[in-house]
This record gives sequence, structure tokens and C-alpha cells, in this order.
Amino acid sequence: MSRSKQIIGVAAFLFGVFVLVPLMIKLTGRWDFYYTLTSVALLSIASAGVWLTFYIGRINIGQGAYALVGGYVSAILVVKYGVSFWLTIPLAGLICGCLSILIGLPILRLKGVYFAMVTLVLTEVAKLTALALPITNGAKGISSIPLPGAISIFGLTIIPDFSQLASTKLAFYYLAVTLMVLSYAGLYRLVHSRIGHLCRSLQQNEELASSIGVNISYLRVIAYSVSSFLGGIAGAVFAAISQSIYPSSFQVADSINFMLNCFLGGLGYVFGPMLGTLVLYFGWDLLFTTGKFQLLIYSSLLIALMLALPNGILSLRLFNRKKAEP
Amino acid sequence: MEQIIANGLYLGSQYALIALGLTLIFALMNVLNFAHGQMYVLGGFVTYTVYAQLGLPFIVGLLASATTLAVVGALIEKFLFRPVIRKSHREESTMLLAAGIAFFLDAVILLVFGEKQRGVPKIVNGVLNWDFRIIMPYDRILICVLTIFFIAAFIGYMQYSKTGRAMRALAQDKVAAQLMGVNVARYSMIGFALGAMLAGLVGGLLVSITGVNLGMGGPTSIKAFMMVMIGGAGVISGAIAGGLILGMLESVGLSVLSQYGDITYLLIFVSLIIFLAIRPQGLMGKPWG
Amino acid sequence: MKRRNLLKSMMLAATASTVIGFSSLSALAANETLKIGFVGVTSGPAAAWGISNVRSMQARAEWINEIGGVKIGAKTYNVDIVTFDDQKDPKRAIAGMEKMAQEGIHYVVGPNVDDGAAAVRPVAEQNGIMYFPYAFPKSLYKAPASNAVLGMVANYQSGPAIYKYLKDTKGVKKVAFVAANESDPLSQRDGGVAAAKALGLEVVSGNITYQVDTTDFTPVITPIIRLQPDLLVLSGVAPANAPQLIRSARELGYQGLISTETAQDATVLKEGAGELANGFISVGGASTPEIASDAMKEFVTRYTKMFGEYNDESNTKVYALEYILETLKANPAAMSDVKAFQKTMDTFEAPNPYMKGDAKLKYVGMTSFGQKRQVAVPLVVNVYKDGKFDTLFVAAVD
Repeated sequence: MSRSKQIIGVAAFLFGVFVLVPLMIKLTGRWDFYYTLTSVALLSIASAGVWLTFYIGRINIGQGAYALVGGYVSAILVVKYGVSFWLTIPLAGLICGCLSILIGLPILRLKGVYFAMVTLVLTEVAKLTALALPITNGAKGISSIPLPGAISIFGLTIIPDFSQLASTKLAFYYLAVTLMVLSYAGLYRLVHSRIGHLCRSLQQNEELASSIGVNISYLRVIAYSVSSFLGGIAGAVFAAISQSIYPSSFQVADSINFMLNCFLGGLGYVFGPMLGTLVLYFGWDLLFTTGKFQLLIYSSLLIALMLALPNGILSLRLFNRKKAEP
Repeated sequence: MEQIIANGLYLGSQYALIALGLTLIFALMNVLNFAHGQMYVLGGFVTYTVYAQLGLPFIVGLLASATTLAVVGALIEKFLFRPVIRKSHREESTMLLAAGIAFFLDAVILLVFGEKQRGVPKIVNGVLNWDFRIIMPYDRILICVLTIFFIAAFIGYMQYSKTGRAMRALAQDKVAAQLMGVNVARYSMIGFALGAMLAGLVGGLLVSITGVNLGMGGPTSIKAFMMVMIGGAGVISGAIAGGLILGMLESVGLSVLSQYGDITYLLIFVSLIIFLAIRPQGLMGKPWG
Repeated sequence: MKRRNLLKSMMLAATASTVIGFSSLSALAANETLKIGFVGVTSGPAAAWGISNVRSMQARAEWINEIGGVKIGAKTYNVDIVTFDDQKDPKRAIAGMEKMAQEGIHYVVGPNVDDGAAAVRPVAEQNGIMYFPYAFPKSLYKAPASNAVLGMVANYQSGPAIYKYLKDTKGVKKVAFVAANESDPLSQRDGGVAAAKALGLEVVSGNITYQVDTTDFTPVITPIIRLQPDLLVLSGVAPANAPQLIRSARELGYQGLISTETAQDATVLKEGAGELANGFISVGGASTPEIASDAMKEFVTRYTKMFGEYNDESNTKVYALEYILETLKANPAAMSDVKAFQKTMDTFEAPNPYMKGDAKLKYVGMTSFGQKRQVAVPLVVNVYKDGKFDTLFVAAVD
């Protein structure tokens, strides 16, 4: 694929999410789509992390744990220590990243279903820990978290105080989409770097990679901590949107959904998790008019989709031709 | 102390039977069946309908559960898993399919059987009270005995029947088994049906003690995963060991740590993670995962 | 080729389902339509909570529409219930509230759990939506929170009343609590423990918990029975777990009382625990024969006809919709203006159609929340006996 085509694709995508989507919403008056799309953007960030662990050949069903930790880190820093929300986004990510190094070192030795199941248990552990610790306020959760404040440099307001805005929907949408674009740009860069190629060699054959001098345990931990970093920032922003966090804010079902997003989009494509999240999340939302048959229709479509495209939606030829445009 | 062991044994035997079906499917097809818990719930509801609603004997309910689930399992394997496994590049993709089936069964169960907790009349009345050292209702003892009988029957079947041997060969080495003339498609289907049947059977057995409701599916699957993981994935003895160990852990943990209430399960889970970090293939698993 | 067909049929199915959805919305046309929302859990493990909720709203709405609609101000409206399943996920609950705002709905019943109720607060307040959660945290109802109205009696209100009654009439001295290891039940347990201590009761065990997915409660209950409490409180117990807990406790030889502060279903108790559940004390609505009015009886009949089987949990959930409609009748300006609604709440009073006698519908909560943000539902304490509930006593909340 040529360089210029790629640039056009990226520009079109950016134009789409930053200009076209708000314009369409304004024209159609579907204001509720802002939150839906904000969710999709944030969940797809977390799913991108899961995708990265798939990339090194690990099935990760534990991203919910890091999203929860990220949410709590942000909430606690904002509420108890008065730290600016904007600072807590990277902090939440970093703390999750560090935590995942500690956890990842022992468990990344596991493979296949064993790793999958350990990470599944990890989500449960995160929830139970949040219930048991005093700093997380236990079962009562943390609620009434203030909205993000303003950022100004040299007296120039770059980001306005969210509580002063007439509607925070648009503001959160831009925040989530910006984070998503940055995350996927980073992910794309990582995958196409030397480290990325080495990671792919892990997915295919760890022993072989090891024998040609790749430091596999180092690579695995790096990938896993980047993955958890992404989970952490998604959780932090969610806590700010709902202005509350509870031990059940991210649970096993979320962890499983993050993984399903990757499958649905396609494991072989960097932008797979983004598309997968969009389809899965939007699908449920659009079906809400079907009332009690919602879950039945949703699951039937899911199964049908899997039968038609077992390698993910992006494996459709249509998408393969112009891969840069996600 | 006796009570704790009795509780653990009862819990462990039912866990083991749940885990057996899951591990069988995993061993044969490398599929992590997320819908296993939902199959268990479906089995429970079938027995409920036959025994409590239609008033037929309990054993008929059990048979109905087993047959229904065996048929459902066979159909799912033939029309859903087989085509997906054939076409997908990475076999983990079946997880999405399994999750979709789990959602689907959840939806069907909700629409057909409703949202309420269901229970059946007691199959045996009375409580065994051995000097207040062991207190155990007779129906629990009966279910425990039946469970152990089914486990033994299953092991016997796998060990001595032609089908069982073929399935074991398949689990050990698919290519070699195929070369020796084992019909992979056929035995995968039988295996899946058998696994689903076991799930349905436990559902039918336990409806007489714990009742059944549509929410039990997901958590049951996760518990079953944990047992399989403790024992070693795809190994029959491992599933039994894993079930018994988890049952004992819960029973002992809840008694010993009762004054710390909130953290019992946290400790169980954390020790599980530590255990697996030390022994990545579980107790008896093969290190291929 | 095959794949294309499949895709085609999927798309067909999707369009068909949307069309069905929309047409069912527009089916009732003669009067204008008043949409009332519901955001809560109607699938998955906690489905029973939301479903009993939705069904009581749908049964009531159909009844109203059948008799010609509800007259608010100069116009007559048909009531339409718009439901959103949040799958007990707070993130989805927010999406549900956004959907309600999009539909132009100002009055929503739900969510069913603490985390969901807290998560939708920003959306509800920004979009001018009054919502009626079934969640107990006081921060939802105390100022500066303004738009949430507690739809039932909270455990910190019913608990003390029950414990006091049992202390005075049954001589209860020692209490033990057991709760599921989840936000809502744990918070309710903590409230219960505090209330029991305030009454001078001895709390012999206050921290035993179980996982929500427990299938065998004997190991959970065993250590509690050893402590020989007079009263065992199942804090915030889900209707699915209640019969199993009761059965385990009784089979282990426990002789004392068992109670809970949540609503239960008699059929579930009967099937799950049989006569072992006799004497189990729970909080109910108004369907016990002693206090149910003819309207309540008709409601139960209609509900049963519509959905095949009644759920006793619905007794406590029939009220929220009634309050919304009656308050709107009292002040038609509130149709699109929740500020007007909030103002009316302070003085609103109407007869309670579901109870015999002269009970009133009015907003309360001054004691607990410092503002009127709770519906006045009679605190009916039931005791289970042979497949049905008998009223133990009735109290009021202020």
C-alpha cells in the first residue's frame, strides 16, 4: 500500500470522527449517539490492549481488572487528593502498567487457556479487592466525583472546565475520540516497529523466537503492560463520565466483551478491535426497541456473523483492499 | 471438622461432574465452551418441567435432561462449531462462537422458562444427624452418591468402550488417531454431545437441591473453568481432582475464614493464581495448554 | 454465494426487527402518547428484579389504556412504557438514560442497583429526567442531588422497624447477618448491623458473605449456626438465593427467626424451601388479603393474565408509575418540566388506590434525606406461611 493512500485514509478517518460525526448528530438530532460513540471509543481503547496480548499469542480475559483499577486510581486521586483529572489519565495508565508488570512476570509464563483462565480470575480478584479495601470505600463505591476541570497554559484556556459547559456530551466525545486516535496510532506504530515484528514471532512460535536470541519474557511483559496501560486510561475516563465508580463497574462480562470485540473485528488487523467494539456495542443499542427479544436477536446475529466470517469482520475482501481506512 | 469434609465432598463431587463435561469438550476439540453453564441450567429446567410440572418421576426428568442436552450438544457441534473451526485461522475464534451460544441459550431460557428461581419438591425427606458432628439431609447424600456413580460410569465408558477409546486417542493426538482410522468428525460430535449431556445431567440432579434460575449459567461456566485449570485442562482425572479441590477449598475456607467473611474468595482466587504461576499446567495437565 | 445469502438474511432480520419495534410503538394512536421510561436489568442473573418491575409497569399501562387513558390537564394520554435493558452494567445504564432523553422522556423508573443509579445521575440531571431507582445509597437523594426519587422503602428504614418489632414481641437478643459479596447487599448489611446495634441487640456475626453464584449454602451457613443467633438476617438477598439459604439453615437445625428487608416471591419460596420457609419474614407491597384493595386485586389478575404468572416482588414495584402519573395529574405543567414536578412533590397528596382504608400517596424522606425524595409506600412486613404471605405488621416511613 502506498504511503499517500495511507495518509489519505488516516485524514479521512480523522475528518470523519472529529467533524463528520458531530455534524451528522447535529443534523439528525440523535444526541444520544454521543454517549454511545464515546463508550465505543473508550471500550475500543481497552480492547486494543487485549488485541495486543492476542498479538503475542495470549488470550487475555482480564482487561476488566485494569479498567477497574484505572477507574479507581483516577477517582481516588481526584476525590481524596484533589489531583487534576487530566493528570490522573496518564497516572491511571502508568499505575496499571506497573501493576501489570508485577502480575505479568509470573503469569505470562502460562499459555493458551491457562493464561486465559488466570486473567479471568484476575477480574474477579480486582472486584473482590475493591470490595475489601478501605481506600476504595468498599461496597459503597465512590460517587459524586467532580467533572474534569479546566487546563490553561499562560492564561490561555485550552480545555474549559467541564462543569461550566452546557453539555458535557460533546466534550467527553472529543476526549474519548482523541484518546482513541492516539492509542491506535501508538498501537499501529508499535506493531510496525521492530518490537512489533518480534511480538508477532512470539505468536507463531515462542521456542523458535527464543532460540534466535529474542528476549521473549521481556517482550511479553512490555506488551502486557502496554495493554494494561490502555485498559487503565479507558477506566479512568469512564469513572469521570459516570462521576462514580463501584466494584462492579467493570466485571467479568466486560473482560469477556473486550476479548469478543477483538475476535469480531479480526485478530489479524490492528483496527479490528475498534470495528468489533463498534458493531457489538452499537448492535445492542440499536436493538433496544425489540424489547424482550433483544438478547435473542443480538445473540443470533452474533452466531450468524461468526459462521459467515470466522476470522473477523475485517477479513471481508471489501476491507482488505483498503486496509488503511478503518 | 467432619461436617466440613462432608460439605466439601458433596460440593466437590458435583463440581467434578460439571468440570468433566467441559474438559472432555476441550480435550477433543480445543474449544473452551463458554456455554457450558447455560447447558447446565437448561438441564435443570428440563428436569423441573418434567418432574415438577408434568409430575413424572424424577428419574424420567434426569433422562429427559440428558437426552435433550445430548441432542442440543450434537447439533451445536455439527452446525456451529465444526464449520467455524474448519474456516478460522486461529482456533481461539471459537470463543466468540461459544459466547454467542451462551447468550443465545440465556435468551431462550429466559423466554421459555421465565426469570424466576425454580425448585422441585424434595425427592427424599429427612436429615441425617450423626451426633451433631455431621448433619446432612438425605437428598443431598442421595445426589452425592448418584454423582459419584455417574463419574464412575463416565470413567468406565471412556476406559473400556470402543467410543471411549477412540475419543481418548483423539484427545491424545488428533493426527495419529486420524491415521489409525478414527473418524474425527463423528467422534467430535459424540464427544460434544457427551459433554453437553453431562452438563444437563448435573443440572437435573442439582435442581432437586439448589433449584435453578437463568442467572446460574455464566458463573457456573467460570467455576468450571477454574476447576479444569486447577486439575489440568483436557485431562479427565484432572477435572475430578480440580472439582474436589475447589469444593474442599470452599468448604474449609468458608469455615476457617468465616470471621474475615469478605476476603475468603479473594484468598481462594489469589492462591489459585499463585498455584498456577508455579505450576502452569495445573496438577495433571500436559504442558501444551 | 452462501455467505452473501447469509449476510442478506441477517440484514433482513435486522430491518424486520426494527420495523416491528417501531410499529409496536406507534400502534396505539387515538390518544396522545405519554412515554414513561424504564432503565434496568431484564436479562442475565439479576433479570428477576427488572422483569418484575417492567411487567408491573406494562400491566398497569395496558390497564390504563384499556379504560381510555389517563387525563392530565386538558388532554388524555395513552401510557407507553419504553424499556431499556442495561444488563446490570452501569455503563449501559448511562446509554439507556441517554436513549430516554432522546425519546423526550422525562420520567424513568430504575435502575435497579446502586452502581447504575449513581452512574446515570449526571445524565438525568443534565437532561431534566426524574428517575425512580430501586437503590438505597443516601447520596442519590440528598441535596445537591435533585432528580432521583427512591421508589421503595430503604433497608435502613425497614430494618430498624423489623428488628424492633421482633425484639419487643419475640424476645430477639442476638442477631447474625449474612450477605452476598456485592455492593448492594454489603451496603444493606452494614446498614442493618448499625441499626441492630442502635437498638441494643447483640450482633454475633456481621461479616459472613457468600459469592452470588454459590450453589451450596451449607458451608456458608454452618459457622453462623454455631453462634446460635435468635435472628438471622439475609441482607439484600436475591429472591433466587433466599430459599436455598433458608433451607440450608433449617436443615442444619437452626430454630430461630430468619428475615430479610427485600421483597420476595411466595412461589419461589414454596418451590425452593417448601415448609422450611414457614415463618420467614420479608418486606412486601400491598397484595396480602388483609390490606389489598380491589384495585390491587384487579392489578394482580391483569398481571397474571398478561404474563402467565404473578411475581410477588411486583407488589413493591407497582407504585412508581402510579406516583408519576398522579403527580402529573396534580400539576400538568410537569409534563415537560421536572422543576415543576419537584415543586409539586413537596405538597402532593392523593389517595392510595392499592390499599384498603385511607392510605395516601405522598412524597416523604425528610428524615433520611432532608428533602422529599422518596415515594410513601406502606412498609408492609410479611411472614411466609404455606405458599403465601401473611401481614405481620404495617408501618409508615417519614
